[in-house]
This record gives sequence, structure tokens and C-alpha cells, in this order.
Amino acid sequence: MTSDTDIGIRAAQEFLGTDLLKDRINAGPYDEQYVRIEETEFESAVTHLAANKFVLISLFCCEGFTANAAQTLFYVFERRTSILVLVRGVNGQATSVADLYPAASWFERECRDGFGVEFAGAFDTRRLFLHETYPEGFHPLKKSFKNAPVVTKKTVDPAGEYPFREVSGEGVYQVPVGPVHAGIIEPGHFRFSVIGESIFNLEVRMFYKHRGIEKLAEGKTPQECVRIAEAVSGDESVANATAFCMAIEKISRVPVPERAWYLRTILMELERLCSHLGDQAGMLVDVAYPLGASQFSVLREECFRENDRLTGSRFLRGMVSPGGLNRDIPKAQLDELAAFVHQMRNRYKVGLKIVLSTASVIDRFATTGVIRPALLRPLNITGPAARASGGKVDVRVNHPYGIYDKFAPRVPRLRDGDVLSRFTIKASEVMDSLDLIERLIAAMPEGAVRSDAPVRDGYTLAMVESARGQNLCWVWIKGGVIERYKVRTASFCNWLAIEHAVQGNIVPDFPVINKSLNLSYAGTDL
Amino acid sequence: MNLDFLLYLAINTLVVIAVSPLFVSLIKKIKARTQGRQGPTVFQTYYTLIKLLKKEVIYSPNSSRIMRVTPLVTMAAILVAALFVPLVFVPEPVGGIGNIILFLYLLALARFFMALAGLDAGSSFGGMGSSREMSISSIIEPTTIIVFAALAFVFKTLNIFDMFTLNASTGSPSPSTLILIGISLFIIIIVETSRIPVDNPETHLELTMIHEGMILEQSGRNLALMELSAAVKMTVLMALLINLIVPFGLMTTLTLAGLLIAIVVFVVKGSILAGIIGLFESSMAKKRFFQLPSLFAMAFFFSTLIIIIAVFS
Repeated sequence: MTSDTDIGIRAAQEFLGTDLLKDRINAGPYDEQYVRIEETEFESAVTHLAANKFVLISLFCCEGFTANAAQTLFYVFERRTSILVLVRGVNGQATSVADLYPAASWFERECRDGFGVEFAGAFDTRRLFLHETYPEGFHPLKKSFKNAPVVTKKTVDPAGEYPFREVSGEGVYQVPVGPVHAGIIEPGHFRFSVIGESIFNLEVRMFYKHRGIEKLAEGKTPQECVRIAEAVSGDESVANATAFCMAIEKISRVPVPERAWYLRTILMELERLCSHLGDQAGMLVDVAYPLGASQFSVLREECFRENDRLTGSRFLRGMVSPGGLNRDIPKAQLDELAAFVHQMRNRYKVGLKIVLSTASVIDRFATTGVIRPALLRPLNITGPAARASGGKVDVRVNHPYGIYDKFAPRVPRLRDGDVLSRFTIKASEVMDSLDLIERLIAAMPEGAVRSDAPVRDGYTLAMVESARGQNLCWVWIKGGVIERYKVRTASFCNWLAIEHAVQGNIVPDFPVINKSLNLSYAGTDL
Repeated sequence: MNLDFLLYLAINTLVVIAVSPLFVSLIKKIKARTQGRQGPTVFQTYYTLIKLLKKEVIYSPNSSRIMRVTPLVTMAAILVAALFVPLVFVPEPVGGIGNIILFLYLLALARFFMALAGLDAGSSFGGMGSSREMSISSIIEPTTIIVFAALAFVFKTLNIFDMFTLNASTGSPSPSTLILIGISLFIIIIVETSRIPVDNPETHLELTMIHEGMILEQSGRNLALMELSAAVKMTVLMALLINLIVPFGLMTTLTLAGLLIAIVVFVVKGSILAGIIGLFESSMAKKRFFQLPSLFAMAFFFSTLIIIIAVFS
């Protein structure tokens, strides 16, 4: 494994040369390697990384990072356990890498909306999170914009409406779905082009609930910002809060007590459990098998109640804080949790057996919504969705944080990439999480759950494996307060996968494909 | 036309309207119980219908007269079709009443208008619902005709009244034929009333809807009529199955005491069938849309078998 961490440095040596690299590279607290890159070297560097199987896992922009450029773009590349960040200074103009890395398209559009950086050569220059009603030239993440209500346009003339990809031909119909849905779910617009019942093309439009989280975080103290991190996506509260706190701890070099990490890990696994149980119930509802669905939704509800007993919050909020945890969980409660987990495992097995022995369910799941393995790298598909398509990615194993190096989860892999694979992967992860929680309770060390240390300035990357996949955040602290907080959740990446997964399927199968990926709308739209 | 027949018209219509919401609720109750839920009371459908009748009707600005007449046409067609299947009392048939082919096409008329109304409001889900309903009906129609042809072969008549009288007086056909008829008619009920594995009556997912998609734009009194007509249609098809397989309790001469007993017996038999439908629905997931013909093929196959048995025995 150790040789893998050098892959990034070696690749940088190859495209820059050893001599040049020396004074351009610096290592971040998270073992990420920042390489400053000049405009003339940029294209060959990215081409080199693309050829060497590096995945672009994030791209974000930041103002005032270097003196000689208005904006700085951070291109975060990952290969196995190595992370390489290309730091590129620009002045409102940049070249696009979307042709090499299709995943960059959303990232670049996000940077354009937030900071006004234009990307030349991009195949898609439409706005992303700023919808039509926002005025022209409005870029909320610029430092010159002070956070305040925005005057939006009351009406949008037809010419200014968001242009969807045009798909035409004999018998092709457009079916617009959402953003208001019949069920109680988050808003998102799905534009289907169908031929009869078969889906020819799908375009997803999100960002109906923009809350300005990144802007909100600026100027806050790390302690205040934990609440904001928890609000990124309700059912990823612990994951996002932990990623944020990890970043703060790395920057300030705060040693986190071991017991805090054990408890944090239990909370993260409980969160994963609730999420996967909800997905499985949802998938069964969507193929109209409520008998099977109720097995999992009942367990999920009980899991929420257990969360509430443990932490006072069904979504485990208010526990994680920089330096450890806000409160300890007493032994009696942990023993109760162990008993709960034990009986939960038995009931889960019963439910799983009912579902997996129902032929009609398997028939609906198998071969539905296939994500081809070839898409994993270009679209940066992550989490259970990637592992169901043959991907070997799990932050807990690739970049172990906390105590995951001691309690490594099994990383199950399937290759079919259909709904059934995702269901099975999630089932196996549920079993694994239950095991992990039991092992953690058994090995729980005594001691404090928090260590306080002064906040220092600096910046770092931090990643966790949420239920949906890799959640990444980048935090820059300046003068003791947040200068820039960038979050990229797994949902942001996986939304692009669904457009490919549904092609060739029939419209009535869309809900189950969507549910099998279970993406967060809020986590996509900050 | 005699007095008995006029009484029949009144009794049959009243009974079918009165009991059909009960059966709908019962199915829901059974399904809720299999999922470990309490479920709504068995009177919930009555409450819902009364509530909807009190509510105002809202029409989409894009909708035409079709939207306004459809609930009435559907209800009327289904109620007339209901007269073709005696629930508790079988009089002498008068005119074309009871004719099996006319019965089928009354159901088709209701479905045709429902599909038109689905298209009428111009919403994408209504159109999808109508398109699916028409695709299904074009496959299920030949099957239904074969099933009914099998009935006609077995009972040597095209009139449902005569089938019932024959069944009640001279005894049922052989058990093997009955089982085959039962399975075929059961499948017809599942398909015609849009239940799992064909359609999911309880779904909130617009994209998967068939029957619900077509009535998505209906509201208030009109929605009540659509819901009631769907319930009546289900009860009528259930009655067809019940009175052919277990004719016990069915009256051929009208007496007050006999009528009360017949109603009670019918409600009991109907509730049992509703329970079976509920359990059947709970036992499987919805089929993939393009695999539905395999379900119909089963009804088709069994009915063909009935005809072969009837012809060669």
C-alpha cells in the first residue's frame, strides 16, 4: 500500500520533471500533494493524468489563495490511495477539461456560477445551480458579494429558459417529470425522451433548493460551522460533520481521543444502516412489493428510535464536534445498542430471505438500470453504486480515517451493475455495519471523548465514506475563521450516473433505478 | 318485462353500489395486515367517497367536454354492465340483458372514455396511463373473449343469467372445469381492476401508474364517480366468479327472507374472495410492463383447455 501513496508524486515528476517539481509541491495535512501548475503546463499535465488512470474526484474554486491570480482552481485527482491536487491560478478565464473528464462538466459549471470563471472549450456552458431567475453577472461565492437576499427576476421570457438537450426523431416524446412529485420527496426535474415506453435519453436538472451553504460558512468559527456541515444533507449528518471536523483537526493538529473515534465510527455506521435500510425498503415499494418493503422500513424506524435514545436526535445530530464528540455515550446505553444490533441482525436476515426468495422481485431487479463499469472512472461514480459495477473504491479502505485501519470493512464487489447488484451490495454492507458496531462496542476503550486545542490557520482536504459514497470537503481557515468550505457529496457525482443507467430501460422502471442509487438532492445543491 | 325483473334492476344496482366499497377496503385491510400494519377501517372507502362527493370539481384549463362527461359515461356503462351479472337474485332475462358480448363491450366503453379523459387534460402522466391501459387492453381483450367463449361452451349459452340459473338448478360442471374457469376469471379480475402484478393501485409514483395515471386529473365528485365505478366493476367481476364457482345462496325466486340470506351469503363469499385477492397481491411484486402478456397467456391457455375439454367430452 505504501508505494501507492507515491503514485501521485511520481506522475507529477513525469509531467513536470523532478527539478521543477521540488519547489512546486507541498504536502497537505491529509497527505494530499498540492502541485502548483502554470497555464502552459496544464494541458499536458491533465492529459498525462488521464492516461495514467487518475480520476478527477473534485474541482473547486477559491478566491485570494495566491497573490498573483484572482481565482485559484483546485483539481483533485485520485488514484488508489494517492491524492494529487493541481493548483491552477486563473483570472476569470480557464480552459475546460470536460472532454477528458466528463465529470468536470458539472464542476466547471459550478465554478462558473459561483465565481464567474469562464471555461473555454466546455461542451456545456449552461448555468448549473443558479436558475434562470437569478440576474446575469451574479456570482455569489465571490468575496465581493456580501451575503444578503438576492433580487430575482419575477418572470423569465421563453428565450431565457433553460435549454434542455434536444432529442428529436420519429416517435420521440418529451416527458417532463417534477420538480414537484406525487410522493414526499425532494425536488428535481427529470426530462425524459421516450420512444413508447423505452427511455432514449434522460436529462436531470437539480438545484431547486440552493441554500448558499458554502457562503454561509464563510466567516464562521469551526465550532459554529459543524451545524452547517450537518445540514448539507439530512441523512448524511454524521458523515459530513465528521469530514469537516477531521479537516479542522488535521489543520489544527488536534489529537482526537480514541474513544471519540470509536463512538464516531458507531454513529457513522448507524447512519449507513438507516440509509441502506431506507433504500432497500424504497426499492421494494417501487416494484410494488410492500410486504417485503415493510420488513425494512420497520427496521429503519426502529434504528431511528435507537439513534434518538443514544444521541437525542433521530439523525444523530449534535454529537460530532471538532476534537471529538460533544457528549459521551455511557456504557449502559452501548450495551443496549449491542443487544439491539443483535436482534436487528436476526430480523434483517428474515426480511432479506423473504425478498430474495420472491422470484417476481428478482425479475424486476435483475438487468434493470445497468451502470457499465466503463463509466466509473470518467464520471467518478462512487460508493455502493460503484462497488456494484466492479469498482474497488471505499474511502474507509483506500484512505482509512479514524480507526478504520484497525476495523477495516469488507469491500464487497459485484460486476453486473444492475439494481439487483446494488441491492445485494447494500445488504452485505448492512450486515457488515452491524458486525462492525458489535466489534466496536466490544473493544471500546475508556477515556475522554474530546480534546480541545486552539484553532490554527491552514487548509486541507478530508474525505469520509458516507452511505452514498465518497464525501469530500476542503476547508481553509484564515484568521481562526472559515475562509472557504467546499463540500462535494457522493450524490453530486452519482447523479450523472443515473442518466446513463436508465437508457434503454422502460419508464416504469425509473423509480426503482433512482431509488437503488438513492441520491440526495440537498447534498447536491449546497 | 315483469315485476320480478324491475325489482331485480333495483335490488342488483343497490346491492352492488352498497357492497363494492367494502370489498375495496377489505383488500386494503388484508394487504396492510400482511405488512404488519393496522390499515384503515373497512369503512374507509365509504368515508372517502362521501368526502369526495362534497368536494368541488377542478378542471384543467386545457381540458374539453370529454373530461366533464367521462365520469358520468363510465359510471353509467359500469352500472348497466352490473345489471348483466346478478349478485343475489337471478330473474328471467329480458332482452339483451345478460348477453356476455354486450357485457364485455360495456366494460370496453367505460375503459375507452377513461383513456380519452386521461389524454384530455394534457398532462404527461395521464397520457402515459392511457397509452399503457390501451396496450394492455388490446392484449387482454382476446384473452377475455376466449375466457367468456369457454364459459359459453361449458354452459351452452351466451347469457350470464342462464349460466347462473343452470349452475344453481342442475348443479355445477365438473370440478376440473370449475378450477380452470376459476383461475381464468381470477386473472381477468386482476387485470381488469388494475391490481398487482399488473398495476399498483396504492402507488404514489406517477411514472409507474396505469389506472391511477388516467384519473390523476379527476377531482371532487368526478373522482368519486371514477373510484366508485372502479369498485363496482371489481365487484361485478368478482360476482361473476363467485356465482359460477360457488352458486350456493343465489336466489332464483324472489322472497324477502331469501333476499336477506342471499345478500349476507354474497357479502361473506365476496369478503373471502377479497381476502384471497389481498393475499395474492401481497405475495408478489409488480411485473415488468412488457412481461404482462405472460400472465394473460395463462388465462388464455386455461380457457382454451376448457373449450377443448367441453368439445371432446
